[in-house]
Amino acid sequence: MSTNETNVPGALGRVVATERKPNTPHEFHFWTALDSPVGIGTIVRVDGDQAVNGQLPRIYGIVVEGFSYTDLQTPLHDVLGHDGTPAGASLAATKRAEIRLYSAAVLRQVPEEPLQPVPMGEVFLADDQDVAIALRMDGYLREDARTGIPVGVYRAGGTDAPIYLDADFLLGPEAAHLNITGVSGLATKTSAIEWILSSIFAHFPAQKGSVAAVCFNVKGPDLCFLDKPGDIDAADRALYDKCGVPARPFENVQYFAPFKPDGFSLNTLRSNEELLENVSSLTWGLREVLQYAEVLLNKDDVDAKADALIDFIRERVVDREFQDAMLGNRRYFVKSFADLEDWFRDVLSALEGKNSEGWRTHHIATIRKVRNRLSNISTRCAGLVTDSGSVSDLPFGSFEDRTVYVIDVASLEEAAQDLIFARVVTKLREHLEKRDLGVNHVVVFVDELNKYAPSDGQDTYVRKMLLDLAERGRYLGLVLFSAQQFRSQVHRRVVGNSGTALYGRMDADELATPGYSVLSPAVKTKLATLEKGQLMVRHPHFTQPIFVRFPRPAVMRGRDGAERYPQAADVDLESAVLRSLRTLDPSLTLGWVRDAIGIRDDDEVIRARNAVLRERPADVRKAFTSHLRPVVAAEAAPRPLAPPLRTAPSDDPYGF
Amino acid sequence: MLATLLPDASLANAADAPVDQPARPTEPPRTISAVVIEGGALRARRVFDPPEAGIAAFLDGTQQSRTVYCTEDGVPIVHGTVAAVVRERRNSRLYTWRHSVAHRLYAPRSRISSSLWQRLGETGIEVRDTTEGGEEHAAGGHPFALREAAVHGVQEDRERAESELAVEWCEREDRPLLVDGSMSGTDRVAAAPGVVGVIKSHHTLYAEGEALSRVLGLRRGERSSVFRITSQKRTTVASWYLRVRDRRGIDPMWGLVRLEVSHPERVDEHEIGARADLVSRWVLAETSPIALPDPRWDTLVYGVRDCEEFLRAIV
Repeated sequence: MSTNETNVPGALGRVVATERKPNTPHEFHFWTALDSPVGIGTIVRVDGDQAVNGQLPRIYGIVVEGFSYTDLQTPLHDVLGHDGTPAGASLAATKRAEIRLYSAAVLRQVPEEPLQPVPMGEVFLADDQDVAIALRMDGYLREDARTGIPVGVYRAGGTDAPIYLDADFLLGPEAAHLNITGVSGLATKTSAIEWILSSIFAHFPAQKGSVAAVCFNVKGPDLCFLDKPGDIDAADRALYDKCGVPARPFENVQYFAPFKPDGFSLNTLRSNEELLENVSSLTWGLREVLQYAEVLLNKDDVDAKADALIDFIRERVVDREFQDAMLGNRRYFVKSFADLEDWFRDVLSALEGKNSEGWRTHHIATIRKVRNRLSNISTRCAGLVTDSGSVSDLPFGSFEDRTVYVIDVASLEEAAQDLIFARVVTKLREHLEKRDLGVNHVVVFVDELNKYAPSDGQDTYVRKMLLDLAERGRYLGLVLFSAQQFRSQVHRRVVGNSGTALYGRMDADELATPGYSVLSPAVKTKLATLEKGQLMVRHPHFTQPIFVRFPRPAVMRGRDGAERYPQAADVDLESAVLRSLRTLDPSLTLGWVRDAIGIRDDDEVIRARNAVLRERPADVRKAFTSHLRPVVAAEAAPRPLAPPLRTAPSDDPYGF
Repeated sequence: MLATLLPDASLANAADAPVDQPARPTEPPRTISAVVIEGGALRARRVFDPPEAGIAAFLDGTQQSRTVYCTEDGVPIVHGTVAAVVRERRNSRLYTWRHSVAHRLYAPRSRISSSLWQRLGETGIEVRDTTEGGEEHAAGGHPFALREAAVHGVQEDRERAESELAVEWCEREDRPLLVDGSMSGTDRVAAAPGVVGVIKSHHTLYAEGEALSRVLGLRRGERSSVFRITSQKRTTVASWYLRVRDRRGIDPMWGLVRLEVSHPERVDEHEIGARADLVSRWVLAETSPIALPDPRWDTLVYGVRDCEEFLRAIV
């Protein structure tokens, strides 16, 4: 029973209906005292007093509109009453009779059938149990099959009720995906995602398997300090306690970032030496990139002919032995951009030598064009794509439960960001299809969704992939958590497939778009004035949006982290190698690194460093030096003996 | 319910207008000379101090009556509802202190059959005999006269309901109570020092000749001298006129009210004058908020209008 029999709270309102403003099965009206705690978003319960099929009806609703008026028939009467002097109004001995009239949208009727207009009755403030019933949370908060994920706390008139999302509808398979929208700068979107990930990690039911998160850090240091504790106050702690989520940072976080164009400095704001322990480089070679060539090459670059040549290179040239008579039956093993460049040079030289226009149905102009575009990739994505073909990747196949994998792409060019996003998501999908990723569910968090999946503009590979993820990901356990400032500017199939939608403070212009027409003016007003830490939640089980509060994430804010752990200054190659190898062996010194590197060229050193970081050997010194080619000691070449000069005969008359 | 009990007679049309339209005075308007107890002659006096919210509660009553049944020979059975309320002011807002509602049937017992009288009693509603006063005899049993007698009975019940609430207030409270209408009908109320009666209609004016001119010439914020009202049927009270709104050259009765308070046992001219000033300030304070859209808004105080609205909602 929602009403405690020993402490029955009094009614705070009464249902009213008139012919002009009747109640319906989906909406009802009630009035309250002037000082009642009811407001927009308050959940109330109506107790009917006329039994239907032997059961007294109970109706749960959420306040969506409010009205206030007095017995004044026209404002002019008030003007007359005070002789046109506003100050005179304050002298009145009596305040006019005034009403607080509210409209509420029905959340649930018990019994559900027959569905009837809301009856007259007393209105009560919903308590915790009422909230659970009203939002149908009772269906997934059962002890034997609990799948609730706290999203925040509903607070009204002394009621502090945790609001749960259904894991089956948040992470699949019934529905999935979450989208959050709101204006920038109010610490809502990123904070909310961090909070919900904490909540998921704390409450995701064991019987549903394991879960990890892959977050793309697309701007600033937002997600760079998820493993460091942040400042939260007592109110936040109370919210954490209420929701049963530990108020601590993420325990397992792995960071990935490409290098800067120099090839050895990590291109991330989390480059402080104290934090490098869980930061890995992200570098790909030709094989990894060629599969996603269309991400980097737009339609103007790649016509059908160019596409055919790229396919040929991918299928017949890369990662296999290649021979061709025109090339003098030389054996090619193309594994890197450098190898590919050699191959292209030989093909074009051979064609020019023969004065030929084509080779294997490919026109020389097409070959030149494809060479130009592919070679350009390693320049555009310098630091991510290596000429050498060395690969440092996410641990596909060995993902760990309750671990966050952050890929910092904030400082990268758009093309490189697209490439990373496309490849990572595709790899996740492939591994989830094969059930060998290491976890059963992966949450992929993408901010600035309006940039990657805009509602207008040309169809890009990334947008197609996001659509596919939104429409089919839930069957695989691949779940998209996305965020943007303007929901109306995101492809409707992406946001439409998000089973759960969160809204922070909204821009008035955005609220004026058709997507928000289902919201009442009062709810829109509330959305436009939401405080930090407040969200409006839509979820498949909730028939109406609900307002909740959530705590500040217990992780260090990006701005604070950037101040406390300043980005490492760019250093020379030896120092960069030392900094990264020290994460494996703190006893290393700069002198040892310099001695080990010697006179070797940068590419070789970087390749060796990357190999060691990838292998994480017990003996770092030995492994590092083993990846460097031995240097043969310089020896003086033996001086050949010069043949003795023939001396001219003494009797030679022409001798000099 | 009545149709069940009285199947052998036609019910009156329920859509008929209520029979208790505001009773028109049966006597012609008149002026009466009253004994002035503040000074020698009735004159205009300025209420100098500003209005003050001194009234703690307001009392008003209402009545509704409808002919619900007529016998074959035209005898009306009237259903009457009377209600009264005291609305108390707390923190500038009005709340119900006490209210009462009563439903009764009014019928002339001597003109209907005993079986019908008995069946009326079986309705569970109190039945009142309208022949007790013997008024219908004078009209020779004319149905209109019988109906008038019933309405008169309803009116008496309404006044009784108001008096009962006023008495209860006086027994429990010392704070000032503003009563809509005369307070002289009940001894206990008329003698209570905290009760103020506000009379808005002036069918009878308690001034003649030059005194009347002074009353009608009062300007806003001015009151007349206090005079005594004595009646055989009613308790003696002290009274005076007060102009609560500027008449601006229109109807001389516009914005004019007559106030009643208890008559002191021993009249002290200064004391009664000071009391009249204080009560006038209380009533002037009640002119805001304005009682529009009620057509009597020039004299109707908002607290009384609030009582009327309350009664309209519950009756």
